[in-house]
Amino acid sequence: MRILLIEDDRVIATALREQAEGEGHSVDWAARLDEASEALATTSFDLILLDLMLPDGRGLPFLRSLRAKGSQTPVIIMTALDQVSDRIEGLNAGADDYLVKPFDLSELSARIGAVARRYSGNPNPLIILGELSINLADRRVTKATRNIPLTAREWVLFEAFLQKPGQLLSKPQLEERLYSFDAEVESNTIEVHVSHLRKKLGAMVILTERGLGYRLGPA
Amino acid sequence: MTRPSIRLRSAGALSLIVTLIWLGTALVTARLLTSELDEVFDSSLQETGQRILQLAVVDVLGREEEGVTQRVMALDEHEEYFTYIVRDDRGRILLTSHRADPARFPAFSDTGFHQADDQRFYHESAVSGTVALTIAEPLSHRREVAREMALSLALPLVVMIPLSIAGIFYGLGYGLRPLVQLRAQLARRGAKDLSPLPTEDMATELRPIADTLNQLLARLDTAFAAERSFTANAAHELRTPLAGALAQVQRLRQTATDPESVRRAEEVEATLKRLTRLSERLMQLARAEGARLLTDTPQDLRPILRIVAGDFAQGADAGRVTLTLPDTPIASDIDPDAVAILARNLIENALRHGQGPVAVTLDPQGILTVENDCPPILPDDLAALSGRFVRGKDAGDGSGLGLAIVHTIAERIGSPLRLASPLSGKSTGFSASILLRGTPYQEPSR
Repeated sequence: MRILLIEDDRVIATALREQAEGEGHSVDWAARLDEASEALATTSFDLILLDLMLPDGRGLPFLRSLRAKGSQTPVIIMTALDQVSDRIEGLNAGADDYLVKPFDLSELSARIGAVARRYSGNPNPLIILGELSINLADRRVTKATRNIPLTAREWVLFEAFLQKPGQLLSKPQLEERLYSFDAEVESNTIEVHVSHLRKKLGAMVILTERGLGYRLGPA
Repeated sequence: MTRPSIRLRSAGALSLIVTLIWLGTALVTARLLTSELDEVFDSSLQETGQRILQLAVVDVLGREEEGVTQRVMALDEHEEYFTYIVRDDRGRILLTSHRADPARFPAFSDTGFHQADDQRFYHESAVSGTVALTIAEPLSHRREVAREMALSLALPLVVMIPLSIAGIFYGLGYGLRPLVQLRAQLARRGAKDLSPLPTEDMATELRPIADTLNQLLARLDTAFAAERSFTANAAHELRTPLAGALAQVQRLRQTATDPESVRRAEEVEATLKRLTRLSERLMQLARAEGARLLTDTPQDLRPILRIVAGDFAQGADAGRVTLTLPDTPIASDIDPDAVAILARNLIENALRHGQGPVAVTLDPQGILTVENDCPPILPDDLAALSGRFVRGKDAGDGSGLGLAIVHTIAERIGSPLRLASPLSGKSTGFSASILLRGTPYQEPSR
C-alpha cells in the first residue's frame, strides 16, 4: 500500500516508516500539513497516518477538510492526546481508527491491515480463493493444509489483487506498490513476480488483460 | 451548631427595643399624669379647707360657750376622703369632721400643705389666728388613683406588644425575601453550573455578595480550565518522546541479530512501557482530583465504553474483554474522559487480578459493572480494597493507583463504587460496579 505518514517528530517518523516499509508498504513522509497537502495533490494514497499536533496546524481540521473535499482515503489518527473526548472528536471528523501514543509497532501494523481490509470490503482476514486459504493478518497462504511461502514482494503484489478482487490493476499501479523495495523498479519486475506467483499458487490465480494489466482470477 | 437566623435575631432585638420603648413611654406618662393629679387633688383639698374654715369661723364665733368641741354629725354613711379638725389659738379643738381622729392631726403653725403619717394636710387660720383648720386627705387614695391610671395605660400594651412583635417578624421576612431568593437561586443550579449570577435586579446589600461570588465562580472556572489544559498538555508532552523511544527500541528489537542486543532492547522496551503506564496514571490522578468531572452537555456512555473496551482488543489480553451495552443511549453528564479513566482502570484491574474473561456491562439504569473470575476475596481484604491507595496482594507491576483513581472519581461524582466478592450465586469472582448516570443536583442539607 502507498501510505502517507504525517508526523513532525523525526524519531517516531523514522521508526514508523521502517516498520511499514518492512511490511511491504511504500511510505511517503510529510513533517508538516502543507507538505502533506502537496503530496496528496500529486499522488493517490491508500492510507494516511495522521498526527494531530503539527507545527503548522492541527490534524483534525485538516482531516475534516479532506473529507469535505470527498476524499475516501482511510485515515488512522496517531496522537498523544489520550482523552476519549479527543478520540470521539477524531472519529467524528472522519478517521477510521485512532492510535494513542505511545503504541506498539505491531499494533500499528495490525490496525493498518484491519483498516485496509475494511476498505477492500471484507474485514475478515481469512480469504478463501479456490483451493487457497489466505490469512491477511498473518500473511500466510495455505493450499490444502500445505503452507506456501511467499517472498515479501510477492506478498505485496498478491495483496494488491486480494484487496481489489476482480478489478483491473495496471502495471504502473502495481509498480507503485513495490517502490518501497527498490528505488528503481525495472521494466520487467511485475512480469517476473506475477509469473512466480502463478507458479506457486496456480496458473489461474492472476489473469492477464493484454495491454491493460492484470486482475485476480478464480485460482 | 447553627446560629439563629438573621430574621430571628433581628426580630428578637427589635421586639425587645420596642417593648422597652412602650414601657418607658407608659412609665413617663404615668409619672407626668400623677404630678398633674397631685396638683388637682391639692387644689381641691385647699378649696374644701378654705370653704369649711369660713363656715367654721361663723359657727365658732356664734357660740355662747367658748372652747367646746363639737363633732359634725354625719348626714349619711359615706366614704369620706377628707377629714378636718378646727382648733383655737390655745390648741383646743373646736370642731371635727365626724371621722376625724384628733390624734392623727399634728398641730401645724404654717399655712399651706404638709405631709405626714401617710396623709396630705392643708392648714389655714383665720380671725388673727384664733381659728385654725387642718384638713387631711389620705395619700393611699391618691396612690390608688395613680395605680388605676397606670394600669389603664399599661393594659393596651398587653395587646400592642405581641402585635408589634408579630409585625416585626412578618416585616423582616418580607424584607429578607431577596436573600431567600438568592439562596434558592444558588441551590437550584447544578454542581457543574459555574455561570455568573444575574445581578441587575439584586438588592443593594446583596449585590456585593453576588459580585464576590461571581468573581469566585469565574476564578474557579479558570482554574478548572487551566487544570484541564495542563493535564492534557503534560500528557501530550510526555507521550511524544516516550512514543519515539518506544518505536525506536521496538525497531531495534526486531532488527537486532545477536541475542544480547535483543534482550537489552526488550528490557528498555519493558521499562519504557512501565514509565508510560506510570505517567499515564499520574495524569489520570491529577485529572480525577483537580478537573471538573461534570459537563454541561450529557453524552451517551456507550461509544465511550466501546472505545475503552476496544483498546483491549489488541495485544496480550485480546479477546478477554466482553462488552454488553443496552440498545438505547444512556446519557450521563459525567465527563467522558473521567468515565473512560474509570472504566479503563476497572478493566485493567480485572485483567490483572482475574483469570479468564472480563465482563463489562452497562445496564439500562446506567450502572457499569466489571466482573472477572478469581478466588474469592476475604471480606477484610475487600474492605481494605475499598480504601484508597491500597494494592491487591498480587498486584505485580500495578502502580497501586488504579483503584485510588477510581475511588477519587467515584467520590467526586458522588456515586459510590461497590465492590463484591464472590459474585452473587457463585463461589468465586470479583465485581466492581458504579452508577454513571451523573449526579442530579441535591439540595444541600441545612
